[in-house]
Amino acid sequence: MTTDSQKAVEVRNLVKTYDGKKNAVDDLSFSVEKGEIYGLLGKNGAGKSTTIKVLTTLIPPSAGTVHVSGLDLRKKPNSIRKIVGVVQQEEAFDFTTVENNFKIYGMLWEVPKAVVKERMDQLIELFNLSELRRKRVFELSGGQKKRLQVAREFIHDMDVLFLDEPTVGMDPIMRRKVLDFVKEKAKGGLTVMFTTQILEEADYICDRIGIIDNGKLVAEGTSRQLKDQFGSVKKLEITMHNVLEDAEKNDVSDFIRNADGVTDFQVRGRSIWIVGNNMSRILNLMIKKITSMSIEIDQIIFDAPSLDDVFLEVVKR
Amino acid sequence: MRIPAFIRLTFRNISVNTDPGTMFFMLGLPAFYLLVLGIMFQGIIPSIGINNESISYTKFLAPGIVGMQAFTAGNIGGGMLWSDRRWGMFEQLMVGPFRRTDYLLGIISVSIIFSLGGSAIMMVLATFIAGGFSLSVLSSLYLVLSLVAGTILFSSLFLILSILVRTMQAYNTLTILLFFILDFASTAFYPITSETPEALRIISSLNPLSYVANIVRDSMVYGIGLSTAYQMLLITVIMVVLFVISLRLYKNVQTGL
Repeated sequence: MTTDSQKAVEVRNLVKTYDGKKNAVDDLSFSVEKGEIYGLLGKNGAGKSTTIKVLTTLIPPSAGTVHVSGLDLRKKPNSIRKIVGVVQQEEAFDFTTVENNFKIYGMLWEVPKAVVKERMDQLIELFNLSELRRKRVFELSGGQKKRLQVAREFIHDMDVLFLDEPTVGMDPIMRRKVLDFVKEKAKGGLTVMFTTQILEEADYICDRIGIIDNGKLVAEGTSRQLKDQFGSVKKLEITMHNVLEDAEKNDVSDFIRNADGVTDFQVRGRSIWIVGNNMSRILNLMIKKITSMSIEIDQIIFDAPSLDDVFLEVVKR
Repeated sequence: MRIPAFIRLTFRNISVNTDPGTMFFMLGLPAFYLLVLGIMFQGIIPSIGINNESISYTKFLAPGIVGMQAFTAGNIGGGMLWSDRRWGMFEQLMVGPFRRTDYLLGIISVSIIFSLGGSAIMMVLATFIAGGFSLSVLSSLYLVLSLVAGTILFSSLFLILSILVRTMQAYNTLTILLFFILDFASTAFYPITSETPEALRIISSLNPLSYVANIVRDSMVYGIGLSTAYQMLLITVIMVVLFVISLRLYKNVQTGL
């Protein structure tokens, strides 16, 4: 049985229990569109890696249904494995040279030799492995190994790529390079499921994000939606060119008082201070209001909520 | 043309195991035994008499070294599960286009290839050191079958170890222990006679490598007899038992924990 042809991954009421104890994944449901980058965030032990392991057929689900590219995980695990790529959180190498790791992996995936050669050269260049290509894997540092592990996965074609904390140990420049490369692949139609502990990464790369806690999906949406919904109290400071007149002060104060999400504010001299939730919406409203009053703005200082704020807010509930 | 998954895994196993270290263990060490021990002991033990037939020590030793290839290759092949589990490649392959059966067949295939390849090289070397060996069709068949059965037997033994042993220290210790006991308490290096100490006689009679070495020796030197067929049956039974045990354990190897 296949499901909606637009869904690359469809998870319904997934449960995973180890030895009949507490559910590592508890009634989890979500779906990922084709060509989408979906981030799965959560604390250590929240159930991210377990979910990825179920989705990649490494461990069987206890209950629920999973479809990958329309294929039922329980009925067609072998077919699923042929169309997915997986970069595990743990190291996984053949203890030979960097170059041989690409060649062996290409051979295992039945990639023609000429294509392996071409892709290997490109990937080695892109992932800054040129000087290491003849080194044996045990000579590499943690970050270099991770680069190889991620790069090697792109030697073969796939419909869905599962990346379980792929940038651990990489420097910020390399991290950005890898994320940009994954983004580019997704533009070409690759679906990516991504887990990370570095929330700026998720913010940068993911089209949608799911936050799981104790095996349950507790929040889901685009980064913007999550920030709007869960971004904790933030501050907005607008400085005008001239001191506000009393009538202007009253008008602005009434406007702010009636705005949703404002928890505190002050209008004094040239400045307006607002503290509250959903500040990006309030900022939009304020700019419109002040502009409509023909008041000149000198400066706006906006303390925007980050995905870290969202994450902390969601998982502490 | 599509290459079956287990053959691709066999190529991979050959590729990762043809490093200098493994090659030395597989070919260098037995060649060393054959050259150094053979020539050295030849001076001390000019001839060995069994069944009223006297042969030179090198001629006695050579089939033992050939038979040892089954053990060495089984160690390398079966031990792959250990290293693949330790270095994450078992899980990586299990999320790739392979089934568990493919992985197991890949291990058995590479063990047999290494065993037969290594044996052929040792036989050529033995011919130079100990002189020619006459092989009939029947003895050649026994030779190959005993090496294949012995290889599957020892691969299964090391698969069982790879599954049951948890730490690297324990695995290495057990491997070295097995290497010494199976190699040196077998008929590979010396004959077991009524004068052999009883403990060694018991260990040797329980040691499957003794039977593999005896069959290879019968095939290459003494000729095939009823006792050869009996020993062939014995190692086949041991092979089946160990293979079934390893299969059952292997089926339950958990991934993703």
